[in-house]
Amino acid sequence: MHRIVLKDKSNLLVTNFMSILLKFSPNFKRALQQRMETQLEAMLLEAKGAWADAEKAYACLLEDNPLDQVVHKRKVAMAKAQGNLSAAVDFLNKYLEIFMADHDAWRELAEIYVSLQMYKQAAFCYEELILSQLTVPLYHLAYAEASGLLLTSAHILKVLYTMGGLENLQAAKKYYAATINLTGGKNARALYGVCLCSVAINQLIKGRNKEEKESSELQSLAAEALLKDYKHKSPGKLPVLTTMLKNMKLIS
Amino acid sequence: MGAECRYEVAQAAYIKLVLHALKHRASPVGGLLVGRLFEDNASTVQIADAIPLTHSQIGLLPSLELALIQVEEHFGAEGFSVVGYYHANERYDDAELGNAAKKIGDHIFRYFPRAALLLLDNNRLEELLKGKERDLVVQLYTRDSSKSWHQAGSDGSSQLTMKGPSANVLLLDYISSEKWQNIVDFDDHLDDISKDWLNPNLFE
Repeated sequence: MHRIVLKDKSNLLVTNFMSILLKFSPNFKRALQQRMETQLEAMLLEAKGAWADAEKAYACLLEDNPLDQVVHKRKVAMAKAQGNLSAAVDFLNKYLEIFMADHDAWRELAEIYVSLQMYKQAAFCYEELILSQLTVPLYHLAYAEASGLLLTSAHILKVLYTMGGLENLQAAKKYYAATINLTGGKNARALYGVCLCSVAINQLIKGRNKEEKESSELQSLAAEALLKDYKHKSPGKLPVLTTMLKNMKLIS
Repeated sequence: MGAECRYEVAQAAYIKLVLHALKHRASPVGGLLVGRLFEDNASTVQIADAIPLTHSQIGLLPSLELALIQVEEHFGAEGFSVVGYYHANERYDDAELGNAAKKIGDHIFRYFPRAALLLLDNNRLEELLKGKERDLVVQLYTRDSSKSWHQAGSDGSSQLTMKGPSANVLLLDYISSEKWQNIVDFDDHLDDISKDWLNPNLFE
């Protein structure tokens, strides 16, 4: 019975501790069994799609154990399954107030925000992730893409807050560059990201002061790195890539 | 304008998009539709191929921009262009064409005014997997002058046809041999550029 609830390896200690308790404390055993049963029942209800009943069961469980991570997460999962994304966002935010080191939850929240086109909020989640785990390239990448989107939204809305857009693009480019560093220049996504950002930035600042123009070294290097990678691993696509980079004026 | 337009889907395109959706059953998936106007019949769009794009975070654009550029570049030489977008929702009971898909459709519409959106019909797909479905498992959406996307075929006309007979039979065959494992999308390519988003050997 333990295995269903305690999936996480870090809970191995807890499992062992609980086995000891179970041997020596009949009250504990009974209370635990009851809680397990309620939780299993709730999960069964959820699996059947009996949302209202499952919600009640989970609410009960949370009353007794407000720090139960599994139950918190089931609430989020249920909200998502019912298509109630704003409730899922709500639950996740409340969960993260307590368990702010839960990376999966931050990432989950970010993805929901992206699907709701709430890019600022998504970027915030990725910021939290980056702050807590500065060495993981994956989050840099996703944050960069979320930031880059703020500019795209601006384009669509034709709002002339180019400075806001420019800053976000420049930030995105920095994050892509950081990822390139971290991944030894091998990450195609980051290399492409730098290229795309540069093109968008240059388009934005067309006709502006030459001082503000981006140094072209980074994107040229990225372009060359991409060409080299493709020659090596995906030669069939090299012509398409070359034409694209030429049109973007990243190579001659 | 879009209302009178007909769309003919090639088997390869249809099968690829369904296989893509089956490979990533718990995520939203999307991809580009490639084709052209028929020479002799300018009110019919031929959807010749499907290029799987992504199986996560449909809302993030950089990979879409990249894919559009590279797909247009690759197929332009053969006289084809991007003519639409296909999408499968994450949730089984979600039959709505979401905003992300519509935005992509709008973008494509700017370059190809007969753009089509194909939304995977999860119910029909379910029936297909049981061997009970004869119709295509996608819904066609087109854009009219009102700038909104309308589901086609609700008035009984069949704007979407399949080139060649019994596409579903062929599809079932591929599904039973788990062909969907081999599908590569543009996202996969960005993670490992040795993977080919053209899926050249898929049907061998």
